[in-house]
Amino acid sequence: MIEIKNLGKSFGKLEVLKNVSHTIKQGEVVVIIGPSGSGKSTLLRCLNMLEQPTSGQIIFEGDCLTDPAIDIDVHRQKIGMVFQQFNLFPHKSVIDNITLAPLKLKRLPKMVAMEKGEALLKSVGLMDKRDAYPNQLSGGQKQRIAIARALAMEPDVMLFDEPTSALDPEMVGEVLDIMKNLAKNGMTMVIVTHEMGFAREVADRVLFMDEGQIVEIGTPEELFGNPKEVRTQSFLSKVL
Amino acid sequence: MNFSFLPKYYQFFISGTGYTLFISALTVVFGLMGGLVLALMKTSKNKVLKSFAVAYIEFIRGTPLLIQLYIVYYGISDLPMLAAGVIAMSINSAAYIAEIIRAGIGAVDKGQMEAARSLGMPVFLTYKEIIIPQAMKNILPALGNEFIVLIKESAIVSVIGIHDLMYNTDTVRGNTFIAFEPLVIAALIYFVLTFTLSKLLGKVERRMRVSD
Repeated sequence: MIEIKNLGKSFGKLEVLKNVSHTIKQGEVVVIIGPSGSGKSTLLRCLNMLEQPTSGQIIFEGDCLTDPAIDIDVHRQKIGMVFQQFNLFPHKSVIDNITLAPLKLKRLPKMVAMEKGEALLKSVGLMDKRDAYPNQLSGGQKQRIAIARALAMEPDVMLFDEPTSALDPEMVGEVLDIMKNLAKNGMTMVIVTHEMGFAREVADRVLFMDEGQIVEIGTPEELFGNPKEVRTQSFLSKVL
Repeated sequence: MNFSFLPKYYQFFISGTGYTLFISALTVVFGLMGGLVLALMKTSKNKVLKSFAVAYIEFIRGTPLLIQLYIVYYGISDLPMLAAGVIAMSINSAAYIAEIIRAGIGAVDKGQMEAARSLGMPVFLTYKEIIIPQAMKNILPALGNEFIVLIKESAIVSVIGIHDLMYNTDTVRGNTFIAFEPLVIAALIYFVLTFTLSKLLGKVERRMRVSD
């Protein structure tokens, strides 16, 4: 579904991604771990072209997203993204946050968009916050709404950029539960996270990145239980 | 103080105020449109658009309004003076408004743009639905200030013969040989205009704050 081919990204002289290649198939849950500055967030942000890669290609459902002539907006509708800082729209109510894109981009009738939005709100357990504004919500609630907002476009793949890193510890669980549910229902997911327990539980595959490269790839059992590379071993010994 | 001229000449002040308000209102409209376009040009990735906006803003802010007014009035032949006044004022105020809008847009969190774009929203729709509404809260106080400056600065169009409040005040002074008192009247009228506007804008600002 997503093919990363020889991807490179530099910020000025700093080379953040070096010749990264990987393929993600439909229904897979891929978790990217690694020390900060290893390029994992940059890689994720290249997948929907929030960062412009310096070299290489991203092929998404057969279309080359790195082709400058492509209409990236159309493809982004199929790629949901959840951010560390939630990035809810503070001037819109919860339900408007969720229905804005479907109304404007898919041109759904208002009734249909509202019904779908409310169904999503129920699925993240926040129906009672329907008319609240983002500044009235806790961090965990904000992130659950952000997930609902991304799902409202009915994407084929969901990208998560450290979705629990800005949360108070007691709110991490409620967000991870929703992500687990998504994974169970067959959503294709690419997740950058520091939650190793979560990675172990839901990932089909774990990528360990360091210094702009994928150092090691494996199932959670392989990577956490028996890491082969020295760098993986030293990283895991610090975080586990 | 001698205000004996008022019964005979009060209509000069009324019609002058009318012109001043008319010119200011048109300048607000055109200045806002021009300022918005310039601000978007200055923040765009296109180098040609960006350099044009930067050059325009720097040049207009770096030269006197009086000269800009003369250049427009004498530079374009057969231009009615009222049009020249409005055009020159709009050209001038667009540069200032552009900077106000740009700063307001710049103050909106970068994540807002990323969130909207990652949902698949095109740039224009993102500005319209997400960025501008949030930027308005930063922009409105400074913009109100600019409108107040604009009413006061509009007095300068009197030099090309537009019968605004300033021009008519001078007419009254010339006709009556009373040098001082008509200026007091004019100053009072300008003050009432700007004070009313600033109170109105304060009300709008408070209402916007309630809604978030």
